[in-house]
Amino acid sequence: MRYRSLERLTIIFAWLTGLLLLSAVSLLLGYLFIKGYQSVNLTLIFGDASPLRAILLQERVFNGLFPAIVGTLILVLLSVFWAIPIGMATGIYLAEYASPRAKRVLDAFFDVLSGIPSIVIGLFGFAFAVFLHKHYSDRIGPCLLISSIALSFLVLPYIIRTTQASLEGIPRETRLTALALGATKFQNIFLVLIPRSLTGIMSGIILAIGRCAEDTAVIMLTGAVASTGLPRSLFAQYEALPFYIYYISSQYADRAELMQGYGASIILILLCAVLFSVAYGIRKGLTHFALYRP
Amino acid sequence: MTPDIKIRVADLNFSYRDRTILQDVSVEFPEKTITALTGSSGAGKSTFLMTLNRLWENIPNAQMQGTVEIKLQNQFRDIYAPDLAVTELRKMVATVFQVPNPLPMSIRKNVAFPLKLSGERSRGLVDEKIEQALKMANLWDEVKDRLNEDARNLSGGQQQRLCIARALVLEPEVLLLDEPTSSLDQASTAVIEDLLLKLKDRLTILIVSHHPEQVKRIADKVVEFTDGRIITAP
Repeated sequence: MRYRSLERLTIIFAWLTGLLLLSAVSLLLGYLFIKGYQSVNLTLIFGDASPLRAILLQERVFNGLFPAIVGTLILVLLSVFWAIPIGMATGIYLAEYASPRAKRVLDAFFDVLSGIPSIVIGLFGFAFAVFLHKHYSDRIGPCLLISSIALSFLVLPYIIRTTQASLEGIPRETRLTALALGATKFQNIFLVLIPRSLTGIMSGIILAIGRCAEDTAVIMLTGAVASTGLPRSLFAQYEALPFYIYYISSQYADRAELMQGYGASIILILLCAVLFSVAYGIRKGLTHFALYRP
Repeated sequence: MTPDIKIRVADLNFSYRDRTILQDVSVEFPEKTITALTGSSGAGKSTFLMTLNRLWENIPNAQMQGTVEIKLQNQFRDIYAPDLAVTELRKMVATVFQVPNPLPMSIRKNVAFPLKLSGERSRGLVDEKIEQALKMANLWDEVKDRLNEDARNLSGGQQQRLCIARALVLEPEVLLLDEPTSSLDQASTAVIEDLLLKLKDRLTILIVSHHPEQVKRIADKVVEFTDGRIITAP
């Protein structure tokens, strides 16, 4: 009888916490959309420029979010581009090749890495940029490249851990299937184990994308600025949505500017949604390709 | 007429995490016969199979002593000798597991998988070998029109025959089966037993089985394991 009521209590508690979480999310999103939906329009993105000409890079956008959107997109893609090969290779090494001792040591390292606050990584990136500036070239300073490298450090642990975990989660029978058919260890990993783990690995990549898109601490120290237009090269400063949101909400002069901050937040969330859907699409396609390619 | 010996195992000891699984096992298996390995579960039958294709080496904390010689390409070879690559060994000593384990791919790609591993690229040859293997495994007529479907959509018995076809596609000399019918119904079991009897002309078969009936139906020889030792080897 006592266990019965305990069980009931647990269920009620679980429901309540779920409900709390759901309402927190919907409250946040709802608040944002109610506050900001009016300011989301083409003028917010393109300012006085013509949208088509701005997208075709024929006209510069001075007072819109377009450069920040492009900056964030490029930043995310670059960071993930650096982090994926290194992270996956590390994860594969940890799951398949590392000796128990090496694994223990590296595990500790990566735990530390995932615990480093992003502002510290930003500071490190900044110091790195200053170092390059002093010792190699005056032209190098905080820039898109430095930011993306620093961000890739921030998200490496996600990709390493998900790769490792999904490889290690493969049951022994599956592991032995290809080996019993004469596969080498390398063939087994790349023809069977990795394709089987793609779903898990992609979840790590999706997490990484979200983190790269929203992180502000790293980029404000390594190259993001409030206004510079579209990034001209990897070595140029750039605009980014999260930095814009931070900047506008701390420095706004009037209500209209604050509203632009809300608008930018909505756009950032939409951008993340788009990136997530693309990643999901790629995940589906990749898994299918890996397993069924002719 | 006594058949030729195919597999010779001498003084085999095996332990896993310091627990002895096999102890002083010495046994021989004749060529082109079906030998049934019986005994209670945990007696070391499956482990014994894994010592014949070195699959245990992929399991951490396992240790083995002793010699295993198999007549491969008409010549007795120590399968643990460094001059025999383990991947080559496993192409000649094929394994079918207890639970059918098709890879998550199409039927065609499952059977073609070992060919792909050994670098066979000619599409014509691959198709020919796939058909041959599937026919040998008595599965061709059931799947020939849907080779590109996901192998996991087949029934359990069909999946197991697919795994046998996959094991046969490289034309091995020895086939190891670890309770291949334990997850199948009676009809599928009968189909696989017939298949094994048919295959006996081509290769040497070792099958772990729990069913005395099955052993009686198909085995030429019975080897019984008890606590990691062999008690009867007539």
